[in-house]
Amino acid sequence: MTSLVLWSIADKWFWPNPVPQSIGLDYWKQALGIQKSLAIGAVSIVPAFFLSLMIAVITVVIAMAIAIPAGYALAKYKIPFGTFILFLFLMPNAFPQQPIFVNLLDTFTKIGLAGTVPGVIIVHILVGLVFGVWITSATFKSIPVQLEEAARSVGANSLKTFFRISLPLAAPGLLASSVFVFITSLDEFTGTFFIGLPFVITLPMTLYSSSGYNMQFASVIAIILLIPSILFMTLIQRVLKAEYVGGMG
Amino acid sequence: MGKIVMSDNVQKRRGFIFPPYILLLFPAVSFMLLVYAYPFVSSVLKSFINKEGALSLDNYFKAWDLYLKDILFTFSITVFNTIASGIVAILLAVYFRLHESPISRFLLNLYRLPIFIPFVVVAQMMNSFLAPHGLLNVALAQLRLIDLNNPLQLFNFIGLSFGFIWKLAPFTILIIYGGFQMIDNSYIEAGRSAGAKWFKLITRILIPMNKPSIMVALVLIYSQIVGTFTLPYMLIGGKIPTTITVDIAHRVNYFRDFGVANALGVFSYILVFVTAIYYLKTKVKEVK
Repeated sequence: MTSLVLWSIADKWFWPNPVPQSIGLDYWKQALGIQKSLAIGAVSIVPAFFLSLMIAVITVVIAMAIAIPAGYALAKYKIPFGTFILFLFLMPNAFPQQPIFVNLLDTFTKIGLAGTVPGVIIVHILVGLVFGVWITSATFKSIPVQLEEAARSVGANSLKTFFRISLPLAAPGLLASSVFVFITSLDEFTGTFFIGLPFVITLPMTLYSSSGYNMQFASVIAIILLIPSILFMTLIQRVLKAEYVGGMG
Repeated sequence: MGKIVMSDNVQKRRGFIFPPYILLLFPAVSFMLLVYAYPFVSSVLKSFINKEGALSLDNYFKAWDLYLKDILFTFSITVFNTIASGIVAILLAVYFRLHESPISRFLLNLYRLPIFIPFVVVAQMMNSFLAPHGLLNVALAQLRLIDLNNPLQLFNFIGLSFGFIWKLAPFTILIIYGGFQMIDNSYIEAGRSAGAKWFKLITRILIPMNKPSIMVALVLIYSQIVGTFTLPYMLIGGKIPTTITVDIAHRVNYFRDFGVANALGVFSYILVFVTAIYYLKTKVKEVK
């Protein structure tokens, strides 16, 4: 396995030119829009980069805004029809999601959301929300009830208890799950492929369209996409326990 | 649901305590119902409706005729890679659990890398690594193991499996190694002092004691392989045989044929049915 990992990285380092006789940064320059090229697939990825970034930020804000209350409710209350609600949040992990995207495309086409940025954001929220809910729920569950009861016993109402006790204690987990949702959105391929194309071109879409035509160029984008994922890994090793990553399935 | 939320506020003013979880869950649950449950149900329902809008099994017959080979291909890819990833993962997790050395610590940090690399990047890596004149073939030719005029063709079952195992075995290790860490050292020492060799340690102590996490890991990667679109699409594309996910994309993008696409979707649901039920059951039990 080491050799695989090392090979693939060596692979990447090689790729700006396949034969290391003429290693150059030409493809990087093209990708970043510094140098123009007429080759197929070689377009500046700067607009796609900013589009991906914008979609990811909006996705995180909306997904977390609805995931945090839901995660809290699942962790702290005994809910009637609880099993049904759990199923709703578990099924996307258990069943293939592609048919969902296909049917959303059908619906979105009818209501004019197909091929638009809001349509893509909705799909990214769907993909991120499930992780968001589970990670926040696990985080809130790990906070001892006694602390909250103590706060209530000295006269804090439930809202105050939440904002002064539960939320600060949960902050690292909530941050982690936000980063998680962010990365998921940045890397999301299948949903964007169905809902977004041909008008919404995110970073993974530029990688797809240049792959097979312009290998070097595609590899440059692959490395750019790799960076946030690797950064996240170092972050997760410092801040998080391995249990959160289990949600990555 | 909207009415309930409004009456919630009204009733609170009157001093009646309405369960707050309804308000907390409302946005997320309604989002999931609209954007997940509705398309899920309609994917099943629409698979039974033919082009004339009548109830029929036409889509299934067509899917069966055209794509039986691909359904079997998907199934064999999935089973093979689940088992292969499982074996690789168990062996490495056992190695990490029983050996403590600078090398094992180094590998322990390294193996996680692929978990965080998205499939689209894995696909591109495999594209450049496995191509007829890609790095693997060039390297093998340098070692004089193959002739570059007749390179290994890897954009098929083998290459796809290579990509899946590369990406999914680490995730499997993560879960299984986590389970192994829970097993107390005293069991392993007891086994050793009773004269058990490593193979017996694995089959008699480590695997039986860690069965739940191994099962969950296998079930998760099984479902994931069935549903993965990116890797087969970029590696194999429209060649025959390919996976169900690629066929669905072709059906939708080239023919706008949602009926057959949905029938294929239902086939993919059927492929994961047993594992999905197992996953849902264990998870619900775990949460409760």
